[in-house]
Amino acid sequence: MEECTVESAASGEKTTEEAKGGDEGKKMKVMVAVDESEGSMHALCWALDHLFTSTGGEVPDKTQALGRLILLHAQLPPYHLVHPVPVGPAVYATSSAMESVRKAREENSICILERASKICMERLIKAETVIIDGDPKDVICGATEEMNIDLLIMGSRGLGKIKRAILGSVSDHCAHHAKCPILIVKPPKVQP
Amino acid sequence: MAAAAAGNTVMVVGIDDSEHSLYALQWTLLHFFSGRGLDPPFKLVVVHAKRIATSVVGFAGSGAVDVLPFLELDLERIAARVMDKAKELCTANSVADVEYEVVEGDPRNVLCEAVEKHHADMLVVGSHGYGAIKRTVLGSVSDYCAHHAHCTVMIVKKPKPKH
Repeated sequence: MEECTVESAASGEKTTEEAKGGDEGKKMKVMVAVDESEGSMHALCWALDHLFTSTGGEVPDKTQALGRLILLHAQLPPYHLVHPVPVGPAVYATSSAMESVRKAREENSICILERASKICMERLIKAETVIIDGDPKDVICGATEEMNIDLLIMGSRGLGKIKRAILGSVSDHCAHHAKCPILIVKPPKVQP
Repeated sequence: MAAAAAGNTVMVVGIDDSEHSLYALQWTLLHFFSGRGLDPPFKLVVVHAKRIATSVVGFAGSGAVDVLPFLELDLERIAARVMDKAKELCTANSVADVEYEVVEGDPRNVLCEAVEKHHADMLVVGSHGYGAIKRTVLGSVSDYCAHHAHCTVMIVKKPKPKH
């Protein structure tokens, strides 16, 4: 049983002299965390389409409307992949194997960031890219502090409660621990 | 009721009596609306969930019946005060095209339903974070909304004062 009181405060006239001291509004440093998942690319697209919009007129660089955009990719360190198995023979990777793993990782990261940058460029938005080594959860939270990020944007895999507990959720972790405001973009609904 | 211009992003901001949620509104206004001039590409809906008196009273028993009317009055007053503060903030940031709603019910449901009702693209909530000395923990409403709202959720945290 809910009662709704709707007060609409829309006024027909908007006065231009309301601009306080002619300030542009606060510019933001926005960081979007990307990985290879579709969810994070979708998050980037959503953010660009909904937040980085110009206020009419021709704005050649839409980034100016909101501030700086930084794309962050967290790269899992290679020793995760060659962790010795507790039961059974330990796996020691040869240095050449390590090298190729490292190269593959880097190529993967660059590929992801290129894809993300392309998405930005298509919308006439300039973005800076950053790759940091480490566990995504910690990397993202740490980066937001170090770079004084004003807004962190992430995708979400849309996991249910149980899967979250088992698989872990990076967006969940960041929502709890990042010190700055965080925007979580849900994956688009799957049409049956 | 103002019709949103085509392609406008609809933002629902949930507020309650806490500093955190008013800070969230202030932050949103400052970063998305200020300085946009006449036509910000966002449509703002401010929603306050007014708790139902019976849900606030923890105990059952004969005493509860007497307390209810006072509680009800208190909640009304809180709602009015919260909405006034919200209006003040919006005016201070030169945002005129805002819809204000007070809906009775549990904040979790109220906010998620408001998202559906207004076809919101985004829900903005503050974060209470009771407890957890060193690290921030999400409040239960913001946590619920982050998981259950059918749109993008923005959680604005009030920064702790640095020593």
